Amino acid sequence: MKISYNWLKEHLPLEISASELAAHLLRLGFEVAGHQRLGPAFTGVVVAKIVSRDKHPNAEKLSVCAVDDGAQIWSVVCGAPNAAAGQTVAFARIGAVLPGNFKIGKAKLRGVESCGMICSRSELGLPKDIDGIWVMGEGPAPGTDVGSLLGPADDVLDVDITSNRPDCLSHRGLARELAAYFRKTLTPISLSLEETLGKTPEVCVEDFQACPYYGARLIEGVTVKDSPPWLKTRLESIGLRPINNVADVTNFILHDTGQPLHAFDADTLSGSRIFVRRSKAGETLLALDHKTYDLPAGLLVISDEKKPVALAGVMGAEDTAVTAATRRVLLEGACFAPGEARRSSQATRLRSDSSYRFERGTDPEAPRAAAGRGAALIVQLAGGNIGKPAQACAPTAGRAPIKTSVSRLNSILGADFTAKEIASCFSEIAAELKVNGEELSFTAPSWRRDLSDANDLAEEAARFLGYDNIPYRMAALAPKTARLTPLETRARRARIQLTALGLCEAYNYDLIAEKTLDSCRLPSAGQPRVANPLSEDWSFLRPSLLPGLLMNARYNLSRGADALRLFEIGKVYAPQGQSVSETWRTAGILLGPVLDARWQPARAPRASFYDAKAAVEALLEKSGNIVWAKLGSATAGRTESDPLFHSTNCLRALINGSPVATVGWLHPRAARAYDLDREGAILFDVNLDWLADRDEPPSHLREFSALPVSRRDLALVVEERLPYAELEGSLRAAAGPDLLDIELFDVYQGKGIDDGYKSLAVRLTFGRSDRTLTDADVAKTVEAIVAALAKEVGARLRA
Amino acid sequence: MAPTTRDAWEQAYARAESAVRAAKLDAASDIPALEDVRVRLLGRKGELTELLKSLKDLSLQDKRDLGPKAQELKSRVEAGIELRRSELENLADAASLEKDAIDLTLPALRPPRGHMHPLTGTLRSIARIFQLMGYSWAEGPFVEDDRHNFSALNIAQDHPARDSHDTFYLQDVPLLLRTHTSTVQIRTMESSRPPLRVICPGRVFRHEQIDATHSAVFHQVEGLVVDEGIGFSDLKGHLHTFLQRLLGASIKTRFRPSYFPFTEPSTEVDVKCFFCPGTGCPSCKHTGWIEILGAGVVNPAVFKSVGYDPEKWSGFAFGVGVERVAMLLHGVRDLRDFYTNDLRFLRQFDEDLV
Repeated sequence: MKISYNWLKEHLPLEISASELAAHLLRLGFEVAGHQRLGPAFTGVVVAKIVSRDKHPNAEKLSVCAVDDGAQIWSVVCGAPNAAAGQTVAFARIGAVLPGNFKIGKAKLRGVESCGMICSRSELGLPKDIDGIWVMGEGPAPGTDVGSLLGPADDVLDVDITSNRPDCLSHRGLARELAAYFRKTLTPISLSLEETLGKTPEVCVEDFQACPYYGARLIEGVTVKDSPPWLKTRLESIGLRPINNVADVTNFILHDTGQPLHAFDADTLSGSRIFVRRSKAGETLLALDHKTYDLPAGLLVISDEKKPVALAGVMGAEDTAVTAATRRVLLEGACFAPGEARRSSQATRLRSDSSYRFERGTDPEAPRAAAGRGAALIVQLAGGNIGKPAQACAPTAGRAPIKTSVSRLNSILGADFTAKEIASCFSEIAAELKVNGEELSFTAPSWRRDLSDANDLAEEAARFLGYDNIPYRMAALAPKTARLTPLETRARRARIQLTALGLCEAYNYDLIAEKTLDSCRLPSAGQPRVANPLSEDWSFLRPSLLPGLLMNARYNLSRGADALRLFEIGKVYAPQGQSVSETWRTAGILLGPVLDARWQPARAPRASFYDAKAAVEALLEKSGNIVWAKLGSATAGRTESDPLFHSTNCLRALINGSPVATVGWLHPRAARAYDLDREGAILFDVNLDWLADRDEPPSHLREFSALPVSRRDLALVVEERLPYAELEGSLRAAAGPDLLDIELFDVYQGKGIDDGYKSLAVRLTFGRSDRTLTDADVAKTVEAIVAALAKEVGARLRA
Repeated sequence: MAPTTRDAWEQAYARAESAVRAAKLDAASDIPALEDVRVRLLGRKGELTELLKSLKDLSLQDKRDLGPKAQELKSRVEAGIELRRSELENLADAASLEKDAIDLTLPALRPPRGHMHPLTGTLRSIARIFQLMGYSWAEGPFVEDDRHNFSALNIAQDHPARDSHDTFYLQDVPLLLRTHTSTVQIRTMESSRPPLRVICPGRVFRHEQIDATHSAVFHQVEGLVVDEGIGFSDLKGHLHTFLQRLLGASIKTRFRPSYFPFTEPSTEVDVKCFFCPGTGCPSCKHTGWIEILGAGVVNPAVFKSVGYDPEKWSGFAFGVGVERVAMLLHGVRDLRDFYTNDLRFLRQFDEDLV
């Protein structure tokens, strides 16, 4: 809210600077978001009259004007097309200084001497009205200092008023708060209201819950015209555009007292009765903003005997507004319930200074006096006679006092303020304060609807006595052992495991586009979606982390990266009846050379399926035995991100029958969609919630033998299609317990190996903990292995 | 012919001595040359060997007189040969080590190195301080209902405080994406009895156009303490201690009044700008202070909504924006950088700062 310091000072004489005021406001909880200094930013500019205007001899677009500044006639070159003889203008004399420290001197323009400058409003740092020079209209005599016409300099503060303090949404309201804080007295408002008109309208309020007070009075015989300069200055200082003397008074009263008023042209109203009622289906309102609104049934409206003439507390109708032709005004001053104004404003997306205040809650006792002031001011500026108001109001229930104690307030604050300190600031705020030793009985004034319990009063005491005067305390808490959630514990381990494998952590948004789902071959039907997305790109809650990582891959490759190892830990979403299920997952993408070692290509192989398999094995190592199943097989089951994977080169990791992770190549269609088709991207996707739900026991030492071990290398030729896992399984079964380790060290096809076959070379490590194996022991075992492999998987030793 | 007289032996000795001189032990060019010299002098038929052997033909007295002299010459020759041998070996080693030279200035071979996201690091830095102060970690769903996000937090349907929570609503179901982690306050209080001391870190959503300083997705760390006799001063103590641990012991804090529907009294906490000497800079928006936390004493209305007795229990709650802290700590100017996942960005961070 914009606050003019000059205006504020009319209500409360303050000696401090505007910057000091801003610091005090901050201490009271009102942040000052902006501070603007108003007033003439120029010197040496006077009112002058253009005596004549002639064409410039050497320039098409320039003219040469004779300008009378009251003392002398000057010849001035002017470029504005709207300059004309007879105009009263702002004239910068030689020696004038315009905004930006622009000094006016004698100049020659295209060979013609120019003694000064005729100014536009923007050249003077004033709000622009029309293109070209500022034509001032009749009035000020030539020679008058233009700066003096603009009123005194002012400071305008942009104050953030929190939504609990609507009572401070006006100059007097804020002054009232400051008066309490500084223990000063508000300047009283003098009002001479003569109700000489013997007419009173009739008002009918349907629902006093929605409209606790409605008042309206007639003012007849007004002359609508421009407001006087003082009023224009007030409104302009806080960024409002003056309209006419009647509308300006209602705006002035709103920003002065916080009470919105509305003026109707009484002659445009049908019938003599005013209703405050609910809108009916099909009713419309052509509002003051020139737009027609279809009103849903049930909004609170003001209507005449035919149709709605205002959306209560929000905006009036254009066709009942005060115009230059208006002679009779119906002036409304009312209180509408906060919820009503907010619902109306939201239903129509129509907002106004008035609705902003009603939404937050206005003082129910304010409209009477504010409308009286408004009426008196209208008559003062526009003439006419005022009638007595018709008023409809709910019976006023006195506000119950808040009963609390000094010790209770100190306990809330953890402070040690004395009863005297607290009472002295409360006496500035309360409508009624009773202090009985420790006990306090505080009755809030009608405008402080935010005060209802001891905590509210504790905040008042703290604000006025200073948050800085509350001590720092650490002692009161019982010691407790802090715990992480299982999910956070597991997520931390996953981050360590994946960064150790060289993956960087990515953070992607949870919301994705329908076209992203399409590119990833993921179904959008049924997927939870946002009703009010920011844009199409943000429509759906993600069913998988992988689309985000694919976008990251494309982004980085297009910016010169040729390798990428990324993972993300995040939530994915799925429909679940009338709700949405959320699952924590961790997913990753690998592509390109593993090492940053391009100059040693042998040591920097491209990421393969088996690198991603290692990541999954690392994540799952403590959760149980992994059983691998091919995607599409009966045991593999189905998960949301399956369509993103290459259906042939993809495995599911199952633990105790549960599908816990998936690892595989990227599906070629998705690869094309993300320009990754030549990159060989490998993906993995792990259910982190599943892992977090299971205990991970601490690693338990497996004894190892101090005795020497024996190694044997075997090269086995098998059919090309035989999976290695089958060979390993048969080998382990045949070898028995003496086989400690098996390590595949070569897979070969080519010269020396028949077509359709491959050679798998394994290094076997044998040993026992009770004795050293002899060569004969090992030879016997190897013989048994070779025989079993020949029988079970058709393997033979490579020649 | 072996000398048999003392004179003859002494002549033989002189010859041997000159032979030793002629051999120039310290000039032997390599190990084989040195070996030749050794054989010539000390070999089975070597001159010195012969000289020593010939001592046996002398009288006992001559043996006693001349023996040490001969032995001394032999020791001198042996030491000379050893010295030269070690010199030659050192030279040979040096030559062979020189030949092994590789280009040591080639770039280091870096194994793939992973980096945690800076928001993870920042969130953990924040969380760790509170853990040390006894706060447990709590989580809640991202998709929420109106009660947990608003009404139980004393934000009624028609309350203008909702204006500052631009909300994403879900289609077809009465659910929304949580606009703050304060939802977890409610969930924690619904599922456990006081005393409580929890932080609720996590992701939140606001219906806001994304730009350098606004994100529709961001992270908060919410905190809640409920116990008997908790007051605003405990909030000040805890948050001041937290900020000192996070930003340095010399940091200055400012608690100023503010408004949140779920706390009363409420406060916003600023720290004195640590980028400028309080004179104003872009980081503090030219105010000299950086807003970092929102907090307050739990509003009794919130306790009532979860069935806690507000006469018995009191507490405080706070919320800190993770992105905001990460931007301050790491000098990041554009919020969007956190969600673009540019490797050139991600690779610059990997730390828990506290």
